[in-house]
Amino acid sequence: MSEAPELPEAEAFAAEHALGVLSAVERRSAETRMAADPAFAAQVEAWRERLGPMIDEVAAITPPTAVWTRIERELPANDNASEKVMRDLRFWKRATVGSLGLAAAAMVLTVLIANQPPLMVQAPPPGQLLNASLVSQTGQPQPLFVAAYDPVRKALIVTSLVTPGNDPGHVHELWVIPADGKPRPLGILEPGKTRSMPMPSTLLPSLVDGSALAVSLEPPGGSPKVDTPTGPITAVGKLAKI
Amino acid sequence: MAVATTPEDLSRLMSRIGAGDRGALRQLYDATSAKLFGVCLRILSDREESEDVLQEVYVTVWRRADRFDASRASVMTWVSTIARNRSIDRLRARGPMAYAEPVEEMDLPDDKAVGAEALLVAAGEEGRLHNCLSELDDRTENVIRTAFFEGVTYDALARRMDTPLGTVKSWVRRGLAKLKGCLEQ
Repeated sequence: MSEAPELPEAEAFAAEHALGVLSAVERRSAETRMAADPAFAAQVEAWRERLGPMIDEVAAITPPTAVWTRIERELPANDNASEKVMRDLRFWKRATVGSLGLAAAAMVLTVLIANQPPLMVQAPPPGQLLNASLVSQTGQPQPLFVAAYDPVRKALIVTSLVTPGNDPGHVHELWVIPADGKPRPLGILEPGKTRSMPMPSTLLPSLVDGSALAVSLEPPGGSPKVDTPTGPITAVGKLAKI
Repeated sequence: MAVATTPEDLSRLMSRIGAGDRGALRQLYDATSAKLFGVCLRILSDREESEDVLQEVYVTVWRRADRFDASRASVMTWVSTIARNRSIDRLRARGPMAYAEPVEEMDLPDDKAVGAEALLVAAGEEGRLHNCLSELDDRTENVIRTAFFEGVTYDALARRMDTPLGTVKSWVRRGLAKLKGCLEQ
């Protein structure tokens, strides 16, 4: 075989990641980069396809039947569809528009919380590398935003794939919606830019497998309400373990 | 039950799984779990851990099926990548040098006549990769295979081979570049 030209650095790193030869720290940085850099992600995927046929050499071994039973038990009710996220979002948007009932409920909740015995403070688990692709609800498969959570740096790295300059009158605001359904604002995303957003410790419990991320269209400066998007939802996605 | 085997069958299963069809996940499991269990065992050399990882793999497939993009990946590569990644993460969690020694080949019975499968494989796309791998010099082929099948790091490879890390790294990188050149011919 003739001498092949060297792979460019980025592609060599992508190939090494696909091969599985990187250390734990390097793997994490490769995964983070994949989530923020679609071109790099495509290179990793191309290398996975190239090397994939090697698994044909691995002998097939039937796992014990108990494994399937365990899988079935662990299947969450289908939360694949982002429709549920949209439904939740619509629900709380409706619920917050001039709803005195909600304010009353919040007060009741505050009282309830105040009456609770103090919770045991537990050391937070080390956290997991998570990523999400945020897609619009119009059925286009291409993500509008990609996000990766790096538990080591405690930062969410978010890339906007939106073309800059299309809508100078509005901004994109990112929200996380954890299991409680209450959105927390994360910050403004600039079209076409990648932003590393350090996450305060109060938000870390929200950054788990299954939490939803959503982007809303807001007036410059972000939503005038602290805990509610006011504009339409541009894209939604779910954080999942890589 | 007929087991789905063609790439098209598997691709159709993925869209049903994405829509929340548990029966489709079961069919994918029937079609792919033996191969993936083999992959986990090869990397982890531990039955119990491999069973745990296999369980995680299919729960992940269930959750992420809607992200599968048939235009970018084949189902088999997609699911086996999840299996390899989860196994490698588990392996890394054991500690940096826990796998610096080559593992004893586990004595495991094969389900299928590997010979027949290998013959079929040699005729297709897969055959090209095998041919290209065998065109590499023995040392490079060996390092790339070990990295792929055992999920070991550069560090561990260097220690096993008693060779500086930088040298091992340049063997692998050069080997991968040659492999790509050969596959593109």
